[in-house]
Amino acid sequence: MLHKVLAIRNLSTSTYTLRLERNDLLFKAGQCFNLGLKNSGVNREYSIYSGENDSYLEFLIKEIKGGAVSPFIRQSLVGEKINLYGPYGSFIIDPKIINNDQFIFICSGTGIAPFHSFIRSYPNLKYHLINGIRFLSERYDYDKLDITKITTCVSREKWNGFNGRVTSYFRKTTINTKHIFYLCGNQKMIQEVYDLLQRSKVSGNNILTEAFF
Amino acid sequence: MKIAISYPPIVNQDGQKAMVSQNRNVQFFKEPTYLLPVIHGQAATWLRDIGYDVLWDDGNSQLKTFDNWYLNLITEAPDIIVFESTTPVMKFYWAVANKLKTDLPHCTIIMTGYHSMRKPAETLRESSVDIVLRSNHIDFALQKLIPFIDENTNWRKTCTIEGLVFRRDEHNIFDTGNFKQIEPLDLAPDVDRDLVQWKNYAYENGNFLQTPGTYATSVVRDCMFGKCTFCRYNGPDLTFSMRSVQKSLDEYQRLIEDYGAREIFDDSGVWYRGAEAREFAQGIIDRGLHKKDCYFGFNTRFGYLDEDTISLLAKANFRFILVGLEAADEETLNRLNKGYGPEDSEHNLKLYTKYGLFPHLTIMVGYYWQTRDQLEKTIATVKRFMFEGIARTLQVTLCTPIDFTPYHQECLDEKVLLTDNYDDFDMSKLIVKTPLPHNNYYDAIREMYSIAFHPKFILKQLQFLARFKKKDWQFLFTYGIRAIRRVRQHIFNLTKHQK
Repeated sequence: MLHKVLAIRNLSTSTYTLRLERNDLLFKAGQCFNLGLKNSGVNREYSIYSGENDSYLEFLIKEIKGGAVSPFIRQSLVGEKINLYGPYGSFIIDPKIINNDQFIFICSGTGIAPFHSFIRSYPNLKYHLINGIRFLSERYDYDKLDITKITTCVSREKWNGFNGRVTSYFRKTTINTKHIFYLCGNQKMIQEVYDLLQRSKVSGNNILTEAFF
Repeated sequence: MKIAISYPPIVNQDGQKAMVSQNRNVQFFKEPTYLLPVIHGQAATWLRDIGYDVLWDDGNSQLKTFDNWYLNLITEAPDIIVFESTTPVMKFYWAVANKLKTDLPHCTIIMTGYHSMRKPAETLRESSVDIVLRSNHIDFALQKLIPFIDENTNWRKTCTIEGLVFRRDEHNIFDTGNFKQIEPLDLAPDVDRDLVQWKNYAYENGNFLQTPGTYATSVVRDCMFGKCTFCRYNGPDLTFSMRSVQKSLDEYQRLIEDYGAREIFDDSGVWYRGAEAREFAQGIIDRGLHKKDCYFGFNTRFGYLDEDTISLLAKANFRFILVGLEAADEETLNRLNKGYGPEDSEHNLKLYTKYGLFPHLTIMVGYYWQTRDQLEKTIATVKRFMFEGIARTLQVTLCTPIDFTPYHQECLDEKVLLTDNYDDFDMSKLIVKTPLPHNNYYDAIREMYSIAFHPKFILKQLQFLARFKKKDWQFLFTYGIRAIRRVRQHIFNLTKHQK
């Protein structure tokens, strides 16, 4: 399916958002789509960044140098059409527990995308977001989020918040085993956080993961 | 402690053997192919490495009869037996487990496989199996579980290792919760080729263009995409893990230089793409492995490989690539969550063949919604691809819902399943209600297989091969003979159910 580009926002040298027309497409917050340039024959998976009720589809994309898709999408012009397939996947919140449970969202890099989608879609969600980034400039769209519900872990720049990686934060924190943990980002972060959660006796039934690659 | 990793020979009334290993969809064949069960091979290696006496007990590849296999196993008297099963052979495995429990009452039986991991209570209810792994990371699970059992005689009361369902006592079943969905694959050892007697799998395998061939230790566990509804690598309980390129390259080098492998196939659900695929191909070239008369192959998806990557793979002596063309119509691709459009397949196939790769298409028919138009579109597209020479070989199967994949669940929800007897899920006949009579789908399969014998296709193959090195002609002779044998067996399976 072809969707028109509405906007591209350059957030940093490595990261941008792609906004596409929605065309009445239905999805659940947290799902992913395949995106590719028209007639290229190549596509890649990206988690949705926008909310279920937004009038557009938006994606938070890290540009991979030498990549087959992300550098070319970044060069797209408003009005150009992008190939989009989906939505797919089950990295979503079960509606049965959406109003009851406390969710802990843990991410690294552009792994914040599905959580941003959750937060925009479900305003009454009880959550805490632990966001692992390298530099302060990677606090994308924080002005639209409730920063009292976010812990930012910055690994390569000193600031007056938490200095270090997400895993370091977890080693210093008491973990409530009743919470439901969602992990999204690179494999290494997920493996390490998963181990820490398990050592704290969090049941595997309460941990959901989405590995980016 | 002795651990048997066992694959019993399963022979049906037509004298055909069930091919179970390596997570495959079970089919019965008279002249079987033997696939090395890679993850179980890694589990065996890991257990041996930590000091256990491991019996690699693949009755199929070791050409045993069932009785022979059973007697040998009883004589070996292992403390633990690990099975791998899937929907069409569940009932068989339950019966075998019950029989073994009579003859080896103190033996602990562990069931692995995607069917039982999704319905663990069923296997514990229907059989004497002691433990069901909810994990598809069999190697990681067993290297924790076996030492725990070994060191704790009261393990049933105390074990909390994640990803297990087991009998606590006669009346109670205990579930330790979901398994860890993502594991650092570099921790798992390469398959020990001597332990698994690799030569038993080195010749009879339709994916090898030349022999001896072998399966690499898979670089990806499950699937990066993991969304196709018919595929078992899909579900909220799964994600994917990737092995490092350099570790895998080291294994390829050993397989070529120490074992003389002439074909290495990676049976990961989907192999590397992008930067990892290019790094791997470049690594093969840098190590000179592309000049060792060894072909390389893997499974991929349309949309994953760009032209630069394909070109580099071809330079590195990659040849056989297996890719799913589940259908040629947009509605079916969307309903299957394939993640690409009909036009992408043609675009990708042209690039593969431009650089000399041998794309092998895996096609399916018989979806419960598949109309005549959709079926005919698939047939016409496949014919065109084969006659134009942008696909080299193919296999066609009936889409069979198994292992409680989303498609299986959908068939249950839509009430289109015609049977609940697991024995019927062996891909030899359609078991869902369809808009057309079942014979139409069987005819479609025959029609697509018959392309292989069409003069136009044979001419195109010859033209293609003439562009390459002389040794690529072996493709016609070795692979061609095996392909024809496979066609014959598929046709036999379909004919026996066709009215």
